[in-house]
Amino acid sequence: MHGEYKMPGGKLIVIDLDVHGDRLAGVQLSGDFFLEPDDALNTINRTLTGQPAAADQADIAAALHAALGPEVTMYGISPDAIAVAVQRALRGEPAA
Amino acid sequence: MMRTDWRDHDWQLIHTVPQSPSLHMALDDVLTHEVGAGHRPPTLRIWEWASPAVVIGRFQSLRNEVDMEAARRHGIEVVRRVSGGGAMFIEPGNTITYSIHAPLSLIKGLSFQQAYALMDEWVIEALGTLGIKAWYQPLNDITSDGGKIAGAAQAHRGGAVLHHVTMAYDIDAQKMLQVLRIGREKLSDKGTTSAAKRVDPLRSQTGLPREAVIERMIATFRHRHGLTSDILRADELARAEALASERFSSPTWLADVP
Repeated sequence: MHGEYKMPGGKLIVIDLDVHGDRLAGVQLSGDFFLEPDDALNTINRTLTGQPAAADQADIAAALHAALGPEVTMYGISPDAIAVAVQRALRGEPAA
Repeated sequence: MMRTDWRDHDWQLIHTVPQSPSLHMALDDVLTHEVGAGHRPPTLRIWEWASPAVVIGRFQSLRNEVDMEAARRHGIEVVRRVSGGGAMFIEPGNTITYSIHAPLSLIKGLSFQQAYALMDEWVIEALGTLGIKAWYQPLNDITSDGGKIAGAAQAHRGGAVLHHVTMAYDIDAQKMLQVLRIGREKLSDKGTTSAAKRVDPLRSQTGLPREAVIERMIATFRHRHGLTSDILRADELARAEALASERFSSPTWLADVP
């Protein structure tokens, strides 16, 4: 499943994922955003993988906030915007 | 760490013969590390491209961004860079690319937005002297009334920041659109449906040869910040060549975000 979200004033955020049982599986975040350090991408993918497929946008954003330490900086992307892309992937919404 | 000013540093210029796309990726990595470690003074590097390339951002999906079959057909090397941001379509005579390798002290205390703007003030001035009214467009573009001119990206490594920028001198928009996949969502807040219209090249705006634009840029940097001509050290080049073949040419790195 595939979801895209252009964060207003930010960058394109893309989520590819599967659902196994009632959990997110194989979640891959991508896009033209900026993230420091770069291995925060893996932290985000690992955090999203295993989340309940029924989790709402606020749940997903909260899980990301909890997983990302103060050393992680984001430009053109945010936990909330990632959560929107996840919801779009789950609902199979078209890009625009 | 105290905030420093451009003039607190002894800026060096590296502008060499054309190099391969993967070697450019590696030189960005090596020189940023060298500046961060205090082994090299802050450096402006002007790139010359030996061959066409697509350079994708650190976090972009290879298959979402690039039509690999079209890239092969056109003889275009596809590489992944160390910084975030979007895909760049490069043809040697059509592109002006530069990197600034600076100590983090230069952007100490600044927001990302302020740091991007600071790093390209000299380019805005250089374009102004060529008759182009350009400005920094957050998050990471240099733009003009005619359209986008350049895209910037930064990455932090140790004690240094890498700020690199690709400017469109000219563009083969048809070829670009065959190789890059540019989605609807990306354009949704850009106010246009045509990716080709998003970029307005320097050639049409200045009427000058590419080399003359580069000359003016170098002169402007030298005037504002000071600049001494330098060359790559043998050990820097050797490390970059090793990194280019081991990492930046490897399918694993290219498909790190598949």
